[in-house]
Amino acid sequence: MASGTVIRSLRQQIASCESQLHDLKRQLAEVEHQSQQQRTNRASEQGVHTRDDPLAHDFSHGIHDDFKSEVLAALAQSEETAPPQRRWPLEANEYKRYGRQLIMPEIGLQGQLRLKTASVLIVGVGGLGCPAAAYLVGAGVGKVGLVDGDTVEESNLHRQILHSTAKVNMTKVESAMIALHSLNPNVELVPHQGRLTPETALSTLQHYDIVLDCTDTPASRYLISDTCVLLGKPLVSASALRTDGQLMVLNNPPLPPGNTSGGPCYRCVFPKPPPAESVVTCGDGGILGPVVGTMGILQALEAIKVLTKQPSASSNDSAPADPPSLLIFSAYSNPMFRTIRLRTRKLKCAVCSAHATVTPEALNSGSMDYVQFCGTVDPVDALSSNERISAENYAKVRLDVNPFTGLEPSKDSHILVDVREKVQFDLCNLEGSVNVPFSAVTSLPVGGRNGTANESDPEAGWVSELRQHADKPIFVVCRRGNDSQITVKKMKELGLDNGGQRWIGDIRGGLHAWRDNVDKDFPEY
Amino acid sequence: MASPKAPAGHFSILYFASASTFTNKTSEYLSAPVEARGLFSKLEELYPGINDKVLNSCAVTVNLSYIEIDGDEAPDLKIVIKEGDEVAIIPPVSSG
Repeated sequence: MASGTVIRSLRQQIASCESQLHDLKRQLAEVEHQSQQQRTNRASEQGVHTRDDPLAHDFSHGIHDDFKSEVLAALAQSEETAPPQRRWPLEANEYKRYGRQLIMPEIGLQGQLRLKTASVLIVGVGGLGCPAAAYLVGAGVGKVGLVDGDTVEESNLHRQILHSTAKVNMTKVESAMIALHSLNPNVELVPHQGRLTPETALSTLQHYDIVLDCTDTPASRYLISDTCVLLGKPLVSASALRTDGQLMVLNNPPLPPGNTSGGPCYRCVFPKPPPAESVVTCGDGGILGPVVGTMGILQALEAIKVLTKQPSASSNDSAPADPPSLLIFSAYSNPMFRTIRLRTRKLKCAVCSAHATVTPEALNSGSMDYVQFCGTVDPVDALSSNERISAENYAKVRLDVNPFTGLEPSKDSHILVDVREKVQFDLCNLEGSVNVPFSAVTSLPVGGRNGTANESDPEAGWVSELRQHADKPIFVVCRRGNDSQITVKKMKELGLDNGGQRWIGDIRGGLHAWRDNVDKDFPEY
Repeated sequence: MASPKAPAGHFSILYFASASTFTNKTSEYLSAPVEARGLFSKLEELYPGINDKVLNSCAVTVNLSYIEIDGDEAPDLKIVIKEGDEVAIIPPVSSG
């Protein structure tokens, strides 16, 4: 980390705090000014009676004593109650600030008071958590807790709207606290630095009325849902990737495990986690800001609906919760929104059914291994060392003699295959490289040579293309050096190495390593 | 997305998230009727590998209602997907 960046970041943080302080001082001055004015007004009202106005004359001379004492008593009383009892349940500034939602029958005074006494925990202060937190703090929720273990990165800023350029490298929790406090200083903000773990989940979540899952891994989704069931908290869960999003209000109503009237939990809907290697992150799959923003805002909306729900007239309990549903958002489809009706709790759910096996003890003891349950992906290690070349050595191949083949340097002496998807290849690529998208590599059946593909099947274009230059070694590159290894294996299975006569290998660490070690100007995305 | 009704003798099937990536489609029409228990094997025939990589962890719906067809004792295995029905394959999305 360049110390220059830290200095710049700190300076900007100080500037941000100073402007906030300035803002607070201005607000204080305004309030002081107002109360000063009120005092002056009161004093001048009383002054009316002591100066030489006609009433004073009447009081002293012309008015009946009984009436005089009555009036004086009334005046004296108003003097005694000078600090008047609070007449209104909300502060004056709150009527103004929340006026636009207060006048709606869905909220009203009672709804606002419910929000004011409520507490919400937001787990993950990223693309979902930022807009969710902004709207909940804006709406006047009494207490908002923020959980995150990450720091702000430049690639977050297009969607994580509480973080700003000046706050790169600051913790996300700290950055969000600054933005949220300046949005609404009435709300109590509670920082929870660090990731939620099975050992900390119960103690963190128990102090809140409702939880928002704004995280980004399958393991955290199961952990948060399990904890909410065990503690009896409703959960608003959302996710987003590329142009799609999902939203569910779970464990609502939050009845004890085994009570079939309670709302389903995450495990009821998705009992099995997806295979770890199929899980795509926003960093690899991409994400459109307004897509994840939409989902985060919907989470805030659902939380407000749950928190302000009016008790039904017939009983003391809350009105029955809306039937459970899964909202699917698909930004490039028509219709964009679909609502799926969900079932009640699953009869054999591991957490919320009568057959539950997940207990608070299991969670606290750390014996619940969510990471193992969801599986992990190790970095691909499919090739031997003589099938791999470092970025530095490949640079020499382009400028120098090939250490493997002894060929003179030339871009034409070999074939460089870039297996990133076309959209990434078009962003930036090495001169002379050929694009064969990894999806085209994996979709090619492996059994082609074993007779499963019939003779009329034309060989994929890129395969026959590569066969034509049987003498040239093939170097395969990708973004980080995983897909390239799988591609090398596949090429050999397809016989492109002519039984070992032609060298095929990958560039270790991919274009990431190329940028770090060879060409620092190569774009990072 | 297959909003228009499926042609005669077919139901429409929608693929979301990783199901869409795997099939390289957002929707298609498949011949009806088919029993829910046979749905996954039919898809496995069309898209080898989809069972393990996608379907195992998915939610499945028929006409916007969740059905439970996971495991031999699942309650909805006998549901018949009829002509004109809309089936959706909904993998969990976890990022955010």
